[in-house]
Amino acid sequence: MVHEYETFLDSARQNRVIFYYVGYFSQNIVAAMAEAVKLQLEVSGANGPTRRKLFSCFVEMAQNIIHYSADALTPSTQMDRELRHGSVCISEQDGEYLLLCANPVRTTIAADLRERLEPLRSMTLEEIKQAYKETLRADATEGSKGAGMGFLTMARDAREPLVFDFQALPGSEDTAMFYLKAVI
Amino acid sequence: MENLYLAPTPSSPEVDFKFDQHQLHLRGESYPENAAAFYGEILRQLRAYLAGCTAQQVTVNIALAYFNSSSTKMLFNMIEALNDAVAAGNSITVNWFHDEEDDTILEFGEELSSDFPDIEFINQPVSAA
Repeated sequence: MVHEYETFLDSARQNRVIFYYVGYFSQNIVAAMAEAVKLQLEVSGANGPTRRKLFSCFVEMAQNIIHYSADALTPSTQMDRELRHGSVCISEQDGEYLLLCANPVRTTIAADLRERLEPLRSMTLEEIKQAYKETLRADATEGSKGAGMGFLTMARDAREPLVFDFQALPGSEDTAMFYLKAVI
Repeated sequence: MENLYLAPTPSSPEVDFKFDQHQLHLRGESYPENAAAFYGEILRQLRAYLAGCTAQQVTVNIALAYFNSSSTKMLFNMIEALNDAVAAGNSITVNWFHDEEDDTILEFGEELSSDFPDIEFINQPVSAA
């Protein structure tokens, strides 16, 4: 038992995992994690701008899980005090920071996510900033709780295009696992 | 009208709108679960206050160390409401406080300043030390 945990910890160390959480996400949990992440980044030696970008990206990812994970303990109509399942991971690799998150989504919204994320991958930073400005001045996107600006914020902060993927979940036709990766 | 005070939480700022002194302060971090709901009521009261102002000098101090994407949208709406009050004959000063190293918040402030030139926008970099 202890040995297995040791193996798990070794693996986390080898992959230079700075922070990892899997479980239910609520606003209180995200605020507590944000505090932990902030401390962790301060001791990690990353410079101020990198820390701020990581923190920003982390909050956007975590709040996306609260809003969009298909695995919810609270009813989907509930807009406040939501509780939904997912995972988030921050690791370091050759001086770069990787942020990963995963959560199940309804296949019906997978197409919408793809449609919003795919164009960002081929945009330059200038184009991303321009799209951000336009979205900021537009009326809120229908059905979006984050004014549709979360992905643009992550794309702006990341040093490489965002990477995303959907994996089929065995035994479930109406949900898929959504993965998102940002390099800061 | 009554002043508006909301104590800060780890994910929402202190809101200290002293309408009677025409001094409005926002301080802290802003990533509430539902920014539209959190700022909706604040905006409603701000608009009601501004509607009653004539030839008034209003000072707004914004000192947010971090705000998420949905709060950004709400801040934009708030500055827009302040800008509308200038058109109605008031004079608005916004002190935009940010960490001197924080380019994201600096740039957003510059953007607001160029979008709403009628507001006197004062960039206030704060040294981290």
